Amino acid sequence: MIRIAAVGDIHMGPESKGLLRPAFETLPDSADVLLLAGDLTRHGTPEEARVVAREIEGLAVPVVAVLGNHDHHADCPDEVTAVLQDAGVRVLEGQATVVGSGDARIGVAGTKGFGGGFVGRCAGEFGEPVMKEFVRYSRRCADTLRTALEELEGQDCDVRIALTHFSPVPDTLAGEPPEIYPFLGSYLLAEAIDAAGADLAVHGHAHLGTEHGMTSGGVKVRNVAQPVIGRAFHVYHLAGPERATAGAPVGRVGA
Amino acid sequence: MSEHAARTAAGAGGAQNLDYRVAHLADHLAAGDLGELGVRIEIRGEAVLLTGTVPSVQCRDDILGLARAELPGTPVHCDIVAADTAVPDHAEEVE
Repeated sequence: MIRIAAVGDIHMGPESKGLLRPAFETLPDSADVLLLAGDLTRHGTPEEARVVAREIEGLAVPVVAVLGNHDHHADCPDEVTAVLQDAGVRVLEGQATVVGSGDARIGVAGTKGFGGGFVGRCAGEFGEPVMKEFVRYSRRCADTLRTALEELEGQDCDVRIALTHFSPVPDTLAGEPPEIYPFLGSYLLAEAIDAAGADLAVHGHAHLGTEHGMTSGGVKVRNVAQPVIGRAFHVYHLAGPERATAGAPVGRVGA
Repeated sequence: MSEHAARTAAGAGGAQNLDYRVAHLADHLAAGDLGELGVRIEIRGEAVLLTGTVPSVQCRDDILGLARAELPGTPVHCDIVAADTAVPDHAEEVE
């Protein structure tokens, strides 16, 4: 069995220092990897990123993250990424990584993703330059996710996870006002996931949404925004290889 | 003064309408120091209701303070909760 812990939208700032650390320190008991689905900070400042870094630094499980829109607000996502990387986090944007758990190999492909909407109710690449760029940017994010998932296919992974901040499906947005769905996700992400294949898709961003959804290709989707899951993180059990041993020591290995 | 000019235009003073003030509050919550997009602001009769989940109690208090400062004369009800940071008590068997 492979154990995936995940949470997004923790929105940390100086006043929330230390709130999640006690729960995160229990992770080796319940999970093989922690996925952070973006919006880790409130404004995307390096100062806030250092608060996040202190929450996860030195944990005995690997941590893989994507950034969210909040983490871009201060226009220094590279600095935020660097602070998190210094704390040992693998920050993905159109990339993939493999983490080890016993004999199991867990592949994670990640991108922040972007909006645009869902089939029949989505933005088109038409009109003003800013509108075309909106859709092109979303498409670029989806394309890199697809490429990253395909890259994992050749790396002998036991499971492949798609990690995004924006949602690939409307299912997990239920509870949000339908009028803002185009700002919460894009079908392009789901199309990429279905084209390349994945065992699970995890995202955040939609605080008022619901946890469970599925792509049209049958990939299960989970909205792990902290307001949705109502805990420090949630844990998902996936079937692993026979050789993988539940509860085996977790190694910090991989690409 | 013409009869036309003497009449009050239908939209005159509309900038003070509660719906516009609520929209501006939402903008200020998002783009201001609080960076908060996860709070729902609803007009309920003559009052305003704030709901949602935020990272901390201090964050909730800051949001309520801003709302009351921006909506003087309007009762502001707050049902915002702080995010639960407890360890989960179960896992989901996905497969």
